[in-house]
Amino acid sequence: MSALKIRTVDITKDYPGTRALDAITLSFESGQVHAVVGKNGSGKSTLVKIFAGATKPTHGDFYLNDEKLNFNSTSDAYDKGIVTVYQEMSLVPGLSVAENIFLGRLPKRNNAIDWKKTYQMAGELLKKMKVDIDPREKLSRLSMWQWQVVEITKALSFNPKVILLDEPTSALAQNEVQNLFEAIRALKNQGVIVIYISHKLQELPQIADTVTVLRDGKLIGTVLMKEVEHKDIIGMMFGDVTVQNRPKDIKVRDEVIMEVKGLSRKGWFQDINFKLYRGEILGIAGMLGSGRTELLRGIFGADPVDNGEVLIEGKTYKNTNPVKMVKAGVGLTPENRKTEGLILIHSIRDNLCYASMNITADGWVENKHKRNTFAEKQVRELEIKIPALDAPCSSLSGGNQQKVVVGNWLNTGPKIMLYDEPSRGVDVNAKQQVFEIMWTEARKGISTVFVSTELEELLEVCHRILIMRDGKIVDEVNPDGLNTSELYELCMRGD
Amino acid sequence: MKTVAANRLTFDRKKVTIFLLDHIIEVCLVILIIGLAFGANGFLTWSNWMNIFRSNSLKGVIAFGMTMVIIAGLIDLSIGSTVGLAGVIVALSCRDLTAQGLDLNTACLIGMGLSILLAITVGWIQGFFQHKTGMPAFIVSLASLYALFGLAAILSGGYPIANQFPDWFNQLGMGRVGGQAGIPIPAIILAVSFLIVLFIMGYTTTGRATYAVGGNPESARLSGINVGGTKIFVFISVQILAVISGFMTSGQVMAGTYSFGKGWELDVIAAVVVGGTSFTGGVGTVWGTLIGVIFMGVMTNGMTLLNFDIYVQYIVKAVIVFLAVLLSSYRAQVKA
Repeated sequence: MSALKIRTVDITKDYPGTRALDAITLSFESGQVHAVVGKNGSGKSTLVKIFAGATKPTHGDFYLNDEKLNFNSTSDAYDKGIVTVYQEMSLVPGLSVAENIFLGRLPKRNNAIDWKKTYQMAGELLKKMKVDIDPREKLSRLSMWQWQVVEITKALSFNPKVILLDEPTSALAQNEVQNLFEAIRALKNQGVIVIYISHKLQELPQIADTVTVLRDGKLIGTVLMKEVEHKDIIGMMFGDVTVQNRPKDIKVRDEVIMEVKGLSRKGWFQDINFKLYRGEILGIAGMLGSGRTELLRGIFGADPVDNGEVLIEGKTYKNTNPVKMVKAGVGLTPENRKTEGLILIHSIRDNLCYASMNITADGWVENKHKRNTFAEKQVRELEIKIPALDAPCSSLSGGNQQKVVVGNWLNTGPKIMLYDEPSRGVDVNAKQQVFEIMWTEARKGISTVFVSTELEELLEVCHRILIMRDGKIVDEVNPDGLNTSELYELCMRGD
Repeated sequence: MKTVAANRLTFDRKKVTIFLLDHIIEVCLVILIIGLAFGANGFLTWSNWMNIFRSNSLKGVIAFGMTMVIIAGLIDLSIGSTVGLAGVIVALSCRDLTAQGLDLNTACLIGMGLSILLAITVGWIQGFFQHKTGMPAFIVSLASLYALFGLAAILSGGYPIANQFPDWFNQLGMGRVGGQAGIPIPAIILAVSFLIVLFIMGYTTTGRATYAVGGNPESARLSGINVGGTKIFVFISVQILAVISGFMTSGQVMAGTYSFGKGWELDVIAAVVVGGTSFTGGVGTVWGTLIGVIFMGVMTNGMTLLNFDIYVQYIVKAVIVFLAVLLSSYRAQVKA
């Protein structure tokens, strides 16, 4: 088979206000797995979108072998043999593996579906992937890594020249990752260009042949995996960042407000122990899948835990639930504000008063005046930009929606706030305002647990940072004097 | 100055559109009433209107409870069976407990108490299992529909149990306050249950929680709202109202019959939907349901006065329900 090559020449992509990609020139060859890494906002997903035909570059060209590519839609990319496997799975759980692979293009004979051929073709593809999956098996009976493999097999059925894998391991457990890698290696031996997008650096030595690093839309470089070490890549990803520091006047009081003791949830986190002090902002750093979100939800009683307890001001909570935790003075701003934090069709006033429903009412009967006062107070103090209190929450921008979620909790007069990725999908300005809110509340003596993928945020905001890896707290660090690369290294280090 | 005025004008126009869309069913009702006042003889008489209320209160009472259930994002198909079962239980209590030597009034009250207890049990079971297992409310309540209907048929042996009630119980269905031309007691019960449900949904934390649970159960749960409790509450409410409707229905004909109320669930749901409550949950008003109940009642009454074929009436109802849902989905788009 002849070697394939996909290359870009000076590709630039501008979005209003930002340059997502800045004159990127690179090339990827077949028979290798090319990892593309970079922190959030580095431009790696924009690059994927351009290859997949989901967006067009502002300047610059890209070529497959010597043919110039010009995609107006994702189907143009398919036609040229470039297939993207996204994080969000596009499979139908109720159908068989073979049906999923050939969905919409099932082979026919005499206008009826030719099942024999369907299963046979699917079987051949799966054999190429070197996996033992029965094409007749219902997808819902397979495990996550097998889903991912079926997804890749489906991509392979298009006879692609290039396969883009976008964070394929993000939903997988450790042992499943190995199985998936076997399949990816089989794929690369088919003579396909495999582009592998990931931020799990510890996986790269096992799967990648080359590593391309992007930072702030610029190409930092492409290196051969076997010639570099972990910390070289981290250095390339982060450069020298100066971290802004939290105001000095916030003092942590020497008084434990919450203590987590031996909290475990099978498959998510094990034996978590830590103390939270009054007025403290405690960060939890960890990669996607480290169990940080699940830990916050476990503390809040949003998900059941198997073992352990939470002590708040000395009172023990076991097998707790959100109703009890709200009474105990705990608030949680969930990871996904649209599906877990807000009721988008309801008014801003309602959304600001749900958690404080029992406080703003006189017993069973609601007090309209009190509800208005509470809602207006948060709009004023958090500087939420709203058309009217009666407007539906769906009419607000991401940053303002996030502030409504926070305001909903501040109205309960919480003692402890748990923030899960509060800066996701909000602009830089709103992000800074959310941090200001945390500091203001900390001055009032409210304690905060702050979970974020953006490590520089944790360094900027927190008094103390716990490192979480594979469901365990493995380290505790002082953010003063620590830089992002060092923190990243701590989160990634595989034992 | 000019631009300000222009702005205000366009703003007002949008407001008027939204207002009209929000109150489209009221507007239609007024038009319908005006049309029938001219077109149908005897429509605008006191006795005709009292009849409209008398005959529509039986389902109307349940519609308020169904509004709560649908706003909570649920559905209860079993209410028709509850209506029949309640009448059967009271009739059996009156017959069999008096045979044991108990006073008729006491026997009747015991029967009523048992019916309410049944409502609470059924509502609790539906709410609990729907919440714990995530089974669709449609299926859970379909199961109760069959079970309660079967239970009523078994208890009654498949026959009406007639002439067992004390007179005051019969009056619940056929009595009037203020003599022969007075206000029917079912209409008064309708008004009272309207006010109670209106108060709960518009002025209490329970009402607020119901809207939240229907709007987004996960957000509601993570805001510390008792989602399971709220679901149980609305199911119990609609069941209790169905039992009250069962008292009125059986009182009206002086008999408990297992097949009373059969098929009512769809008429009740129609009235709620015509009143603007959204099937997706989280949106709707008790006032809208009252208007929906009156609208359906006036329409049926008008068609009867105009000698419409009974089967044609079904087609007209179909068009009305269809248009109502079409309008509410259009309204949702205008607002967004």
